[in-house]
Amino acid sequence: MPGKHVAGATAEPCRRCKDNISVLVVRSEPLCHDCFARYVHTKCIKRLETFRVNFAAEDQRRRILLPLSFGVASTTLLHILDLHLKTQRSKTGRTGFVIHVISIQDPEESLPTDRLLEKTRENYPDHQYASLPLHDVFRLIPDDASLRDLVPEPTGKQNLAPGEYLAHLIDSLTSATARADVLTTLRTRLIVEHARLNGCESILWGDSTTRLAEKTLAETAKGRGFSLPWQTADGLTPFGMNFHYPLRDVLKKELVAYINMSENKLASLVHESSPGATQASMSSKNTTIDDLMKQYFESVEENFPSIVSNVVRTAGKLEIAASTTSDLHCSLCSMPVPGGRFGIHGWGGDQQDGIDVQSAEGSSRLCYGCTRSIPQASRKANGT
Amino acid sequence: MPPSPCALCKVNRALILRPKDHSKLCKTCFITVFETEIHHTIIANALFHRGEKIAIGASGGKDSTVLASVLKTLNERYDYGLDLILLSIDEGIKGYRDDSLETVKRNAEQYGMELTILGYEELYGWTMDQVVAQVGKKGNCTYCGVFRRQALDRGASRLEVKHVVTGHNADDVAETVLMNLLRGDLPRLSRTTSIITSTPSASANPSSNTNIKRSKPLKYAYEKEIVLYAHHKNLDYFSTECIYSPEAFRGSARALIKNLERVRPSAILDVVRSGEDMAKLVPGSDEGCGGVCSSSVPAAEEEEGGCGSAQGRSSGGEMASVEAQLRQNDAASEHNLETEITTAGGNGSGKQHGRHDSGAAPLSTAGKKGKKGFTPRKANKQVMGRCKKCGYLSSQDVCKACVLLEGLNKARPKNSIEVAYEVQDVSVNSIKDELKKTSIGAD
Repeated sequence: MPGKHVAGATAEPCRRCKDNISVLVVRSEPLCHDCFARYVHTKCIKRLETFRVNFAAEDQRRRILLPLSFGVASTTLLHILDLHLKTQRSKTGRTGFVIHVISIQDPEESLPTDRLLEKTRENYPDHQYASLPLHDVFRLIPDDASLRDLVPEPTGKQNLAPGEYLAHLIDSLTSATARADVLTTLRTRLIVEHARLNGCESILWGDSTTRLAEKTLAETAKGRGFSLPWQTADGLTPFGMNFHYPLRDVLKKELVAYINMSENKLASLVHESSPGATQASMSSKNTTIDDLMKQYFESVEENFPSIVSNVVRTAGKLEIAASTTSDLHCSLCSMPVPGGRFGIHGWGGDQQDGIDVQSAEGSSRLCYGCTRSIPQASRKANGT
Repeated sequence: MPPSPCALCKVNRALILRPKDHSKLCKTCFITVFETEIHHTIIANALFHRGEKIAIGASGGKDSTVLASVLKTLNERYDYGLDLILLSIDEGIKGYRDDSLETVKRNAEQYGMELTILGYEELYGWTMDQVVAQVGKKGNCTYCGVFRRQALDRGASRLEVKHVVTGHNADDVAETVLMNLLRGDLPRLSRTTSIITSTPSASANPSSNTNIKRSKPLKYAYEKEIVLYAHHKNLDYFSTECIYSPEAFRGSARALIKNLERVRPSAILDVVRSGEDMAKLVPGSDEGCGGVCSSSVPAAEEEEGGCGSAQGRSSGGEMASVEAQLRQNDAASEHNLETEITTAGGNGSGKQHGRHDSGAAPLSTAGKKGKKGFTPRKANKQVMGRCKKCGYLSSQDVCKACVLLEGLNKARPKNSIEVAYEVQDVSVNSIKDELKKTSIGAD
């Protein structure tokens, strides 16, 4: 079966260097260890053409932010970029950019973020490192009023600390999908804000082809088809910040193989939250739409890797509507909502004949997808 | 736990957990709410006008049966003033279509609607059974889909009907959105999300069969609710999937939709909404002309691709063949960067390999110039003309159906002998068929 990681290709010579014995088959090409590593590096670095060494003054060097989740993809990205900068330095005495690494502590503290980050720093000491708790999003984002308005504060309690408010917000969400969705959205906002505060011009995300395909279908399923052009494309986003996905041409399984074949040091930095999570039973109430898509594409990439990349390419062909720059933005995900069509009412699929459409939408203005996640009842109570 | 009362009337016992939003309703309230929502869809989208003659594309399946029943009810309740008739297409698939047509015939009586059955045999000289005997199961859905699209239009025009409604439901539309994302077919994604589609009229000739309006009043209705409605109204419908067409992409998308629905019931509607929003972002999109399609709703179809799937699909092999095609394209772009690559076969799927960003190899294929210039073949509606052979609207000299027919007929032995005994259908044609079948079998 082409594209599989079975080492069944034993004895077959590497198709690229013709010298070594291949260790795995990548998209129907048997490759040796070194050629495979080069394959992954090239795919990544090719994406970074705009970040070549420029001979500007040292203090004008470009800064990029790399959000590190300690997963396979972002760890690999850091590793490759570190190598890349070392190569640049050895060749030119300079680097094309400076890396800031940010790691966001999730509210459940399921990962020992600080310890992992420290370990990473020891391995790649040339970069700037920071970690922030997710609730800092309420502290750092200047117009946090609209974020603080998402759900009303519990009666009798006002001016909750950011951490308490986050806990309260997450508690009030009624499904696993909604919780995962809101957490991801807040994380993105915090990362963007951190990039801004540190003078970074771009954020380099670790998303693999597979991850981007998952995201495409998951966001579609969450009613965010309108914002797909900004979800997976390289370039300027409505945040006013450039997003890049250097690993967009590498499949998740290829990254896993890369980590598995690398020296132990790299593998020890990876902390995939729980590899078995995607195998979780479907009956579970805790399954999220993101989990579902993850499962789906893990199975599709096994036999149909090109279909996975085609999904990403297809999403990339959607064109941003011309008018959207002046559009109003969603209070939560910050994406421009064409024509200010906030909320889940007032379209063909809404069968409730304009019942309280206005009042039900509350004060903060959420896009269709975010409205699905934030419970209506509690917002309505706040709307008065 | 005490039985909970209906969330709407608060009087009766709730017996139904509404699939769409999990509200608990009694049977009467469910039926009312279901009908009212269809009414809402019809009114909000101004689907009909008073005095309009509407042909319901009836397959005997649950969707079209519910559609017929609901339209009859609403037409009377809200006095739409519609003239409703049933139009069935007989693809000529034994064991599938002949049974479901019996259901349609009973429906016609039950609803007091006039019924017209139009056969592929009559229209094209070939039943699907014969086509399959000739071309095999591989790719036969292409024939069926191309033929069916024209068949409904021809049937409608024969009945002097300008508007055909089909039973596509929210699940079908959501499925098609995901499927077209997986297949990379944005033009079709865009077309199939609109509730009203119509073949643009190429002539002012009122007898032309090309400007038939299509709509799907059940576009926002959940499949599960359609089944519940049919069940609680004791509707008479036929449930069998077509015996010829397991479709890989649609099957995959369908499974995904069912799982999504389980995780979040609103997801089906949310995908439909996403599809509508994305349709506006498709480069060069305009008013669509295809219908959403589903294998379970044989009364309508895609513009070209059979029951909504890519051409040349075969059971299960479809994803593999698209994969192979895509991989070829990728390999080509890897190995000779910056050169022009011509797509093999020019088939509908897997042809979008233009990169979406400048960082990649500016791989260009006929008609595709990177992001902005991406104009897939099927979007070339500006060159719509008429088929030289049959007069059907077509962007080519000869329409797809005629091309397919030519291929079929070439291989069919000339046969002028007619035997004078009856098979089961009362036409001489069917005997001709029998003979053809034997001679084909002997090939």
